[in-house]
Amino acid sequence: MLYYRLVPANPAMSDRRSLRTLHPALLWGFPLWATTYFAVRVWLEGNPGGPDGAARVAVALLPLPFFLLMLLGLIRELGRMDEMHRRIQFEALAIAFPVVLVFLMTLGLVEVARPLDPRNWGFRHIWPFLILSYSVGLAFAMRRYRDQ
Amino acid sequence: MKTRLKELRADRGWSQAELAERLGVSRQTVNSIETERYEPSLSLAFRIARLVGLPIEDVFAGPEA
Repeated sequence: MLYYRLVPANPAMSDRRSLRTLHPALLWGFPLWATTYFAVRVWLEGNPGGPDGAARVAVALLPLPFFLLMLLGLIRELGRMDEMHRRIQFEALAIAFPVVLVFLMTLGLVEVARPLDPRNWGFRHIWPFLILSYSVGLAFAMRRYRDQ
Repeated sequence: MKTRLKELRADRGWSQAELAERLGVSRQTVNSIETERYEPSLSLAFRIARLVGLPIEDVFAGPEA
């Protein structure tokens, strides 16, 4: 999200972008998804004895449409980038992917060696590391092409 | 890949931002091409050459064989 605020792209090719130039699907999708995700998570974790089965799954799936909206916005933003900024994204993912792979493989082995407490090591705790590794990859890639 | 883009742009009195707008890319991309940190695609290289009115080999020089 921060990246899209910093990086210019078509049709607004100036170096200073504002939130208004973001694709509406991303502009609305991100806050809606984040709000729904954390609200649902807090509610599900706070109500372990709440409604069972299908109802809980239905609640857990509530953020999904907003995530799809955000995904649409991200794809549209990618389409508006010029070739160098697409290259930056590619290099960021090329760094992030193996980092995530090693992280998950190591976690898998540790889990075999010693069962991990799902309250601390569930999927809901792991996905932020994926964003972190992408951010690190992005920082490296952007550094390479920064102004000189 | 060596390029004379900075010199050619200066000759025409264009800023990086102006050239970027004409090419439909970001100013950062123009800067990276000029400082030879980013090699443009063939399509963008041809657009640049067409814009400055020179053959592509007068704007960019590949590694010597």
